[in-house]
Amino acid sequence: MPGVSLSWYLALSAVLFTIGVAGVIIKRNAIAMFMCIELMLNAVNLTFVAFSSYFRDVSGQLFVFIVMTVAAAEAAVGLGIILAVFRNRESLDVDDSSVLKN
Amino acid sequence: MTTLIFVLLAGLAVGSAIALVVQRNPLYSAISLIGVFIALAGLYLTLAAPFLAAIQIIVYAGAIMVLVVFVIMLLNVEEEEHKPLRLGYLTAVAVLLAAVLFGEAGFILYFMGNSTLEPPDPNMAGNASNVGLTSSIGTGLFTNYLLPFEITSVLLLMAIVGAMTLARRVGLRPTDLVVPGSQVLPRHSIDPKAIGDATEVESSTTDEARQLLGLANAPRRRPEE
Repeated sequence: MPGVSLSWYLALSAVLFTIGVAGVIIKRNAIAMFMCIELMLNAVNLTFVAFSSYFRDVSGQLFVFIVMTVAAAEAAVGLGIILAVFRNRESLDVDDSSVLKN
Repeated sequence: MTTLIFVLLAGLAVGSAIALVVQRNPLYSAISLIGVFIALAGLYLTLAAPFLAAIQIIVYAGAIMVLVVFVIMLLNVEEEEHKPLRLGYLTAVAVLLAAVLFGEAGFILYFMGNSTLEPPDPNMAGNASNVGLTSSIGTGLFTNYLLPFEITSVLLLMAIVGAMTLARRVGLRPTDLVVPGSQVLPRHSIDPKAIGDATEVESSTTDEARQLLGLANAPRRRPEE
């Protein structure tokens, strides 16, 4: 049974990460940008797990565990920020929150 | 068989990811993102990592996405409208750099595609490797990686405190009646002249509070475009 080569997992991860970057650039909605960042984190997780499995080393999977914890913390704080911004501006469009610019 | 499963799951992941970016309704984007998470959990299973596959479903698709969907529904987010991208000449640069990136990826896939590494056995039958199992992950987490694990717990505590600080309403007493959608603000957060005046103003929007205070035409504290 021929398995899938490691390169294919890495290529899939690169594609997902690129789609996530494109989403962060294209999207104007704060929650949609947040979800694209989650997509990028997951692409990196796939790389970690692929290397970990192919090298028979558990360290990569431990780091995936830690990345997931960071993602959960980021979700809590990020959504709190989004709520606070929405309360002040009644909008989620990041173009409306450009006061820090200039 | 493994290749077929990989192609199916990879197609589901990439298709859901593209749908996530293309959709303009955030709720549909969230559902597409759950599709990506489930496809990735399947890929973790093909990589002999059952613990992470379960965690992926429980934590990501279960906890984080429920939080996101909850916020989307709480804020009643409208669809994004079309706006032209203000990139200008950067579009040409982006196309060039993307071509270079795809060239590099194709080069590596073509010349390094035949990795000498053995693919993991998802069944783990008669395999000495137990890398993805819960017991080996727990052992690693509490021996070699104990310090990162403890730092993670501190991070979670900071996230709890930060989220509570950001999301709580300012100046609300326990006996106050909370009207949905309204907020109580100290007066000096709306009126630039009333510095230090913490009299509370209750209204559903900041603009309404400004009108209540007779400040509709006064200069704003935070300048807007």
